Amino acid sequence: MKRGVVFDIQRFSIHDGPGIRTTVFLKGCPLHCHWCHNPEGISAGPLLSLVDARCLHCGACVPACPRGAHAVQDGRHALDRARCTACGACAALCPGGALELVGRTMTVDAVLAVVARDAVFYRASGGGMTLSGGEPARQIDFALALCQGARAQGISCVMETSGCAVPDTFTRLATVTDLFLFDLKENDPQRHEAFTGMPLAPILANLRRLHDAGAAIILRLPLVPGLNDRLERIDEVIALIQSLPQLQSVELLDYHPLGQGKLKRFGLQPVGAVPPVADAQAAAARTAWHRRLSAWCTKPACR
Amino acid sequence: MIAMDTAEIIEQNAFGITPGVRPVCRLPEATRQLAARALAGEFGQSLRKAEFAIPDGFFRRLPTPNAIAAEAVRLIGEQAPLRIVTGERLAGAATLQEASEHRIPLTNFASVSHTTLGFEKALRVGYRGLRQEIKARLALPVTDAECDFLESLLVVIDGATAWHRRHVAELTRLVAATTGAEQANTRAVLEALRDVPENPPATFRQALQALWFFWDFQRLCGNWSGIGRIDKMLGPFLDRDLADGRITLDDARDLLAHFWIKGCEWCRGAAAQPGSGDAQFYQNIILAGVDEAGHDVANAVTDLVLDVVEELHISDFPIAVRVSARTPDRLLRRVAEVQRQGGGIVAVYNEDRIMRSLEAFGYPIADARDFANDGCWENIIPGKTCFGYCPIDLLQGLQDVLGLSAEAAGSPPVFPDFASLFAAFEARMARQVTEAVNRGVATLQPAPLISLLVEDCIGRARGYYDLGPCYTALSPHASGLPDAANSLLVIRRLVFEEKRLPLSALVEMLRADWKDQEALRRSIQSRFAFFGNDDDAADAMVRQVFDAFTGLVGSVRERFGILRPAGMSTFGREMSEFRKNRLATASGHHGGEILAANFSPTPGTDRLGPTAVIRSHCAVDFGRLPCGTALDLKILPATVAGDVGLDAMVGLTRAFVELGGIFMQIDVVDTALLRDAQEHPEKYPNLSVRVSGWSARFATLDRNWQELIIRRTQQELR
Repeated sequence: MKRGVVFDIQRFSIHDGPGIRTTVFLKGCPLHCHWCHNPEGISAGPLLSLVDARCLHCGACVPACPRGAHAVQDGRHALDRARCTACGACAALCPGGALELVGRTMTVDAVLAVVARDAVFYRASGGGMTLSGGEPARQIDFALALCQGARAQGISCVMETSGCAVPDTFTRLATVTDLFLFDLKENDPQRHEAFTGMPLAPILANLRRLHDAGAAIILRLPLVPGLNDRLERIDEVIALIQSLPQLQSVELLDYHPLGQGKLKRFGLQPVGAVPPVADAQAAAARTAWHRRLSAWCTKPACR
Repeated sequence: MIAMDTAEIIEQNAFGITPGVRPVCRLPEATRQLAARALAGEFGQSLRKAEFAIPDGFFRRLPTPNAIAAEAVRLIGEQAPLRIVTGERLAGAATLQEASEHRIPLTNFASVSHTTLGFEKALRVGYRGLRQEIKARLALPVTDAECDFLESLLVVIDGATAWHRRHVAELTRLVAATTGAEQANTRAVLEALRDVPENPPATFRQALQALWFFWDFQRLCGNWSGIGRIDKMLGPFLDRDLADGRITLDDARDLLAHFWIKGCEWCRGAAAQPGSGDAQFYQNIILAGVDEAGHDVANAVTDLVLDVVEELHISDFPIAVRVSARTPDRLLRRVAEVQRQGGGIVAVYNEDRIMRSLEAFGYPIADARDFANDGCWENIIPGKTCFGYCPIDLLQGLQDVLGLSAEAAGSPPVFPDFASLFAAFEARMARQVTEAVNRGVATLQPAPLISLLVEDCIGRARGYYDLGPCYTALSPHASGLPDAANSLLVIRRLVFEEKRLPLSALVEMLRADWKDQEALRRSIQSRFAFFGNDDDAADAMVRQVFDAFTGLVGSVRERFGILRPAGMSTFGREMSEFRKNRLATASGHHGGEILAANFSPTPGTDRLGPTAVIRSHCAVDFGRLPCGTALDLKILPATVAGDVGLDAMVGLTRAFVELGGIFMQIDVVDTALLRDAQEHPEKYPNLSVRVSGWSARFATLDRNWQELIIRRTQQELR
């Protein structure tokens, strides 16, 4: 039985493809986007999450840790992340639920058992399962098995992807995926590499390969104020869209500082700085993007 | 700068509720302004106590209770103040303050609510037909008591006729005293009223006026009936008028809007006393579904009602739409669009499930198909039912068994295993159910006005509270089931399976309200998947308790001529009396916390979103619960934004139907907005929320109720 590392399963997801869906977040991503919304999904292995507000400072975690990462000092809990190997021994004993291991190794059947519970909602709304991440293509065999298993139960599969994987990956995934939500972060190769840490060309090649193979694709463009929402880029995007006539639609995704807020829970450092931009300026850019791209934005998800 | 017209300012504040929702504007400006005035409380604040009484001389005859009650109705018809407002398109107003307090003016008799009267039949035969029916019955052999009752019905009709006669006279005077558009409007009101409700209506406008007159007269006399199936009653009239070119859809919508505006005639605006909320006069409306013959009812009136609610956002008529697997997508999307505006005004019934369980309970199929509700959501047969319910607190039953009553002391009881604990709980439940099924109808009060509009009171020549109706139902209603089941789940695992502590130690902790046991309490809350998380173990425990309760109640279908259909409700008692005496629960709650409402998860315990909540809720066999129950879902507006959001709401409803639920109310509301409304009530005068079976304007709820609404779990995307 194939196994993979999953960091969340979110039921009643309704902005990750059509209808009511269950989104399975697979861990691990080759990109390191400055604005990442799910920074806990970047590394391949589990992470220890600590929500201070839930901590009772009871000290149950102190003897649980084989490496002495926890201590109670002056009645307050303290965590030394440098010693933590994310084994999860402390989380299993934490009474308040302050400590949690994020990123569990699960079998295909275990994931599908959760997904299948909402089958009646998928039928009622045209929904299904969505694989997200992280980059689901990073766990290609696991992702393939999940999609095959879901399809065997009549559940449709959507994949959110950054498009960053070896070419063969998407050829294989296209056979079991009903729709790709393909994120494109930048159109300028240098900027793309600066913001994401990975080159643009292979991603564009994968996009074209999927497109030419007849896969259903919605192109999604995260707009991050001051980073990739410059107006000159709109023409480049339009040129790209015009070269991909089979695209289902284009969606613009708004940036939320949600990911930045999560960093502390996981003891992570920001991947890169997101420059603060005056609301008015960002809003004006957003309006311009929407206006220029409205011909391709067939869905109000282009919001 | 041009000063804004006051009416314009009022209107701007009146309908807005959820920022970002595109305002709808289909109604004429004059109608919108009248609605704004009604919502601001102009008419509600003009209510006065009756300034007349039953004269002493009347009592020289030593009248019977029926005669006294009928005389009160007659005098109200003769003397209650009229209110005719310039520009309104329907006549009739319930102007007495006692009525808005659910008291019968002029007498101390109990007023009636929790039923929906037979307005459909009343429209079919008019007061004329009812009078003939009574006289025909009087022509048969009758006892003195029967004669007394039937004659009181005739006096009631005299009162209604007087009320009508006075309106006709006043409108005639106004026609003569006015000119132009005002005169034309008044004349149209007069013409629509002249022949009804004495005679059956011929047009949509007459039917609407007649329905208002029937309904508003019972409420003027202090009773709070539901309205019932308005589209079934009025749709055929509108269809005919539209086909004959007598009316346009726009005009019909406007007339319906005036019905809705009149429906908030008791709204007191800023003058309302904070409490359990205004707009809860049980004036429920049912839309769509099938008729007695099994044909679909939905018609132009169905759509127009939704249009009016969408535009004016009047929550005084809570609406339940009967849906099924056959309901077209178009209607479900329309319902979702209105639900998404917030206010919890529109809920849904899964009609096939309900009709099957009513039929299985013993109602004839034609009656089962015509089900409506009592003014909240309990399933009843409209126009044929005297209804009441007996609350049974299952959680208190469990707490008693555990020695956790407020007054209990001494050593807690000992149970060798979980089965024996459950058996004791069930025995306690049997005691509670016995008490409920042995209860009679609460009162032998006279209710001639109500009896007039409930089958088969005339035929049996017996009153509403005297087994006159076709059906008298006193429904045993369980409450606290989710929390009882969650507590049992914890006790079974911690005490009997893991043996982490003896039951006596747990009981001592609960008696001490979890003092110094925060780690255990919090670990229970964070580790257990409780009811509402689609968890097999939790749902199985709920089912075990549910089956025990419905099995007990189901074994007594009828006693003393009174039906005993099982139901499950809290109706806000989770906010009031339950909190006062309740000690801590094994499921990790402190004494006095707000626990589960109706058959919904306990606030804060459902973590997996609405699909999991719906699956848990539907994990029981609702065929065993003919009186019904409610699922309250609260969803953030952002979650259901856009077309995808509408698809999702339609999907939730369709799945709820497929999974066999009964009644679901979806409140689309933002916690942040409610918090703001708590601090700045003046900004949100018409912000409505679903409370339980009713909606209320948030500003009229007291702090406790507001907290309950806010803390009901938000279902949101991460």
